[in-house]
Amino acid sequence: MMELIITVFSATFFVTVIRTTTPLLLATLGGLIADLSGALNVALEGMMLIGCLTAVIVSVYAPWYVAVAAGLGAGAVLGLVMAFFAYRLKADIILVGFAINILAAGGTVFALAIATGGDKGTSINLQSKAVPAVDLSFLSAIPGIGPILKSFLSGHSVLSWLAAFLVFAVWYFLYRTPWGLWLRGVGEYPAAPEAAGIPVNKVRTLSLVVSGALAGIGGAQLAMFNYVGFTRDMTAGRGFIALGAVLLGARHPVGALLAALLFGAFEALAVVMPGLFNDIPAELIRMIPFVVTIAALVLFSVRAQRALALRGLK
Amino acid sequence: MSNIPAVDRRSRWKTIRREVGRAVGALVIALVVTFIVVLLTSKAPIDAITQLLTAPASKPRTIGLWLDDVAKLTVTGLAFSLVFQARQFAMGVQGQVYIGALAASYVALSPLGASWAGIPLGIAAAMLAGAIYGFLPGIAKAKLGANEIVSSLMLNYIAVELCNFLVRVSLPKPQPGVLTTNDFPDSAVFPQLIKFDGLNVTRLDLGLVFALVAVFVVWFALYRTSWGLKLRLVGHNARFAEYSGIKATFIMVSAMTASGALGGLLGSMFVQGQGYGKLTVLFEGGLAFEGILVAIVARSRPLAVPIVALFYGYLRQGAQLMNIRTDVPAEVIGVVTAIIILLVSSSFSLNFVTRLFKRSPSPSVAPAAAGGAAK
Repeated sequence: MMELIITVFSATFFVTVIRTTTPLLLATLGGLIADLSGALNVALEGMMLIGCLTAVIVSVYAPWYVAVAAGLGAGAVLGLVMAFFAYRLKADIILVGFAINILAAGGTVFALAIATGGDKGTSINLQSKAVPAVDLSFLSAIPGIGPILKSFLSGHSVLSWLAAFLVFAVWYFLYRTPWGLWLRGVGEYPAAPEAAGIPVNKVRTLSLVVSGALAGIGGAQLAMFNYVGFTRDMTAGRGFIALGAVLLGARHPVGALLAALLFGAFEALAVVMPGLFNDIPAELIRMIPFVVTIAALVLFSVRAQRALALRGLK
Repeated sequence: MSNIPAVDRRSRWKTIRREVGRAVGALVIALVVTFIVVLLTSKAPIDAITQLLTAPASKPRTIGLWLDDVAKLTVTGLAFSLVFQARQFAMGVQGQVYIGALAASYVALSPLGASWAGIPLGIAAAMLAGAIYGFLPGIAKAKLGANEIVSSLMLNYIAVELCNFLVRVSLPKPQPGVLTTNDFPDSAVFPQLIKFDGLNVTRLDLGLVFALVAVFVVWFALYRTSWGLKLRLVGHNARFAEYSGIKATFIMVSAMTASGALGGLLGSMFVQGQGYGKLTVLFEGGLAFEGILVAIVARSRPLAVPIVALFYGYLRQGAQLMNIRTDVPAEVIGVVTAIIILLVSSSFSLNFVTRLFKRSPSPSVAPAAAGGAAK
């Protein structure tokens, strides 16, 4: 037990948490934007998975930033497809989302087999690249706290810094710009913005595109930093956990950050625990993120219901 | 019962014709896309497409495989139909399958499994376990307002890991290290329906009968009982149902529980069927989620579910055989599935191309159409 506590409070564990949190956070921000506009994006999982594969395949032929952009683009295109079917063709958005998840689960394996010449499990035969880590070793020159700062801040993926910045950017967009107000209004009560001449479906379409783009970057981080290369079903439910994180984060960017950090921390725990406890079965450790998501969802729902009851709404 | 049976019947035929037309249209578009993909990627495209379209019906053995798939797709389609009719998006069938299979395996590998009770008790245990697993997200939503999509999906992952764990640690195995249990005793495995002399040719077993019984039971429950009427009312308009004195939350939870029992039944059909006759990790192979397609194309009508399953099962089996015999991976079927769901669940019709690029005059807004998740 002591070893676990020592591990959890070490700088390496912090770096692991940031690494596991980043894809989750990006997907959660994507889910948040879609959810606030009233378009529940259950396809985050599939968008991430396709983002992963696109980034890996493109990185074989192009520099890492092009690959990340490709992952972003793939997610955005899927968001557009989703909006097209949901708003132009009036399909149920949840069913559309699951169609995209099914497409991703089968389509990525199919595309992987084509790209690798028959390998359906991993992209181990492809020379894919990684997203570089930001090296801040100059921080250790600061007297006193320098080495600690360096061990905590150095070595994160470029995309982790981007994700942290995006939390602020999304907050600023949602609460400090007129477009953010439109978006929230469309999600809150679509009839009013429509009467005011705001194109409701266009707002939702754009937010689905942005949502997909964010999930796509999340996928790129997963397949180009957390793991280098693509594995079948490598998102392993992260998109669905992100959906839970949106709700747990009280549909606010900062809440999303905290929720993603919580789930990321438990995922990091699942990463470090097999090395520490040989007697805890790996299957049970792998269950941790899912159990925590359910527990968090239930606890949050209880609190939300109580808040409603207090306000006399229910 | 109706005063105007002729009109009623005519409008019903019209609906059926429209739905069939839409499903066939979607199928054709999906197949055309598949053909294009196969043409672009395969070295022997004609061979691959021929396999996809003809292989399942070519031999008694493949017909058996196909119909076995149909039985399973029917049950998962029914499970999704039940929750979709109540407008709940519980996605937990996969988890229920694993939990049900675990329960059935514990029964089958116990002394009980070697007696006559192996089959009935195995099924009962599986359905009970599945029902409990379906009940959990239902009650969490009814009492706490926890979003059922997220909770049921999380339960799926937990069930898969639980199955991996129990197979590795707890259930009896032929030798340590393998990820499958001992073969079940014969008394716990569904008997084959058709036996050819001397040839053990077809996988078709009692599961098909259970699937057909399930179709009838679900149809009866939905269309001939007051519970079914209430369930459909809740699905159409939960608030109206609530005003008319129906306990919407009770209906919701009971629909998810009943659907869970079907998921459990499917689990027992997998492990107690001729296909396995034992519990193997990850035995389900993504079939459970394909019930979404079956339910959507069947418009959640129980009587239409087996028909859709018949067609979809054919394609699915064709893709598996194409995978074995040619260079096209079976996962291409995922593309077909997605396109069919997208087209059938949308208001697409055969002349949709013309309307597609016309601007709709006023985009109608479904109030809080999808924002319900956060409530």
